[in-house]
Amino acid sequence: MSLLAQYFVTGIATGSFLILATIGFSLTRQVEGFLNIAHAELLGVSAFMTWGLNVLAGWPLLPSATVAIAVTSVFGLVIARTVYDPIKKLGPAVLLITSVGVAYVIGGGVDAVIGTGIRTLDIPLATTYKFYGIRVTNYQLLVIALAALTGVSLALFLNKTNTGLAIRAVAANAELAASRGVDVRKTSRATWLISSGLAGLAGVMLAMIATLSTDIAFHQILKILAVAILAGLGSLYSVILSGLIVGIAMDVSVYWIPAGYRPLIAFAIVIIVLLFRPQGLSGRRAA
Amino acid sequence: MNVEAFLVAVLTFGCLFSVLTLSLNLQYARGGMINFGTVAYFAVGAYAYAIVTQEPPSGLDQYLIGLNGPWWLGFLVAGVGAACFAILTGWPTLRLRGEYLALTTFAFAEVLHSFLLNERRIGNGSVGLANVERPGISWADVPDSYVFAVAALLLMLVTIAVYRRILASPYGRAMDAVRDDEMAAEAVGKDVARMRFEVFVISAVPIGFAGALYAMITTLVSPDLFTAEVTFFVWIALVLGGERTMLGAILGTIALVVFQEVVRGIPFETVRSAQIAASVEHMLTGAIFVIILRWQVFERISFARSQAE
Repeated sequence: MSLLAQYFVTGIATGSFLILATIGFSLTRQVEGFLNIAHAELLGVSAFMTWGLNVLAGWPLLPSATVAIAVTSVFGLVIARTVYDPIKKLGPAVLLITSVGVAYVIGGGVDAVIGTGIRTLDIPLATTYKFYGIRVTNYQLLVIALAALTGVSLALFLNKTNTGLAIRAVAANAELAASRGVDVRKTSRATWLISSGLAGLAGVMLAMIATLSTDIAFHQILKILAVAILAGLGSLYSVILSGLIVGIAMDVSVYWIPAGYRPLIAFAIVIIVLLFRPQGLSGRRAA
Repeated sequence: MNVEAFLVAVLTFGCLFSVLTLSLNLQYARGGMINFGTVAYFAVGAYAYAIVTQEPPSGLDQYLIGLNGPWWLGFLVAGVGAACFAILTGWPTLRLRGEYLALTTFAFAEVLHSFLLNERRIGNGSVGLANVERPGISWADVPDSYVFAVAALLLMLVTIAVYRRILASPYGRAMDAVRDDEMAAEAVGKDVARMRFEVFVISAVPIGFAGALYAMITTLVSPDLFTAEVTFFVWIALVLGGERTMLGAILGTIALVVFQEVVRGIPFETVRSAQIAASVEHMLTGAIFVIILRWQVFERISFARSQAE
């Protein structure tokens, strides 16, 4: 029983990471209207930039992470402006396929620069705390705390600030928003900065809780898609719930079935959701 | 690498993967379906062939079934298996559209990959099945690689012939009607959902055959060979060649195969430089892909042509 509880708690940490990784993806999907497969590669860019600054250049973790997140954020915007914007009129399918090409370019670039092998950050080993026989590390707690913080601040941002409201307006109906005086271009810029920045943050978390290899980014996109679809492609808040569901389901499943099947759980969820409830948990029908 | 071996490799794999690109062309350009799980049907074909032809398990083998059947039976079962898998995956998913269909097919391919990797009873898990049987056809002193190049060419030609026949028939015209205006097609009594399903299943069969041929050529099937990279490869080839014509699909595939073989043929001093070359190959492939979609190269050519007419 305590083993099950242990998997459950680990699942919460996995889920929190998935929330961080997926929120940016869902935000782009909502505002820009397509599935950006290259989003996961941004996690890799950020993770390896943190690693480079932290291990190779010898910076402390916090400044390395900050720089990595900022660079990733701008990088995401640059890609959007140079690659995605000019073909926006061709529809979401072409954008989706293009983003696969972008993922190839970024993934290949990271591969060429970093090379094969397994890497870890130069940070203290995780301290393990024990509550009622359940172990949890300080890094896991940090991921959970950051996910919660991100969720709350994003909600505040989207509901209280002008830019946030503009983002929601454009997401709901871009033409109508434009006719009411919302600067669509500026809003789209803010969206790309925020979503890529969140990818950067998730990348830093990945670098902290996992050992890094260059194919790690690609493995994330599968889980990100699972969470995004379960949440419903049109919703942000349900990302939090579905991130936890996928994370917990994946980790708890290890109790009954071999660990190799963990990714399969995520995909079983995708298939079941798309078959029975294509609109996702949020209940809103995506157009 | 000598020129002859290079040309044979290009011909073999160019034709082999052209079969996949052509099928994808039929599904996407004609049927309007985005199939992001192409590799799954390919893998089913390869594994079906291997399971039918291999000998019953012995020693360290963990797989359960080895029928030790003749190669032609394995080849047929590969086609049937791919069609069955298409029925299994297409029936529930084809009512989904556009990106949702892309994601579900992608998910199915990942699930299959995960099964092949973890379920050792199918094909030894991550180790795969080695020494897949090759058909014992050999003419006097013609090397095997030539036989397989011809076989790949034949498979491609047959696929083209069949697809052409389908597209030229009233059925093909109905498909075009569905693609151009679904509602209008439905209004004149075409069963759109059923047609999409049929196209999906029909076009999976040659992919299965190609999988069987691939298994014969490599004499190895393992989950490593059937990752999402194959799907992306075929998609890039399709986009590279322009999605409208069969010739474009074939030329795109061959161009991509030539590109890869050239990069692989370069001799490298160190492991590191070889690895960089592989990454750069990845980057270039992606960049070509993005550029072609960005400037809509083929749309422009066909536009210019229609202007000239």
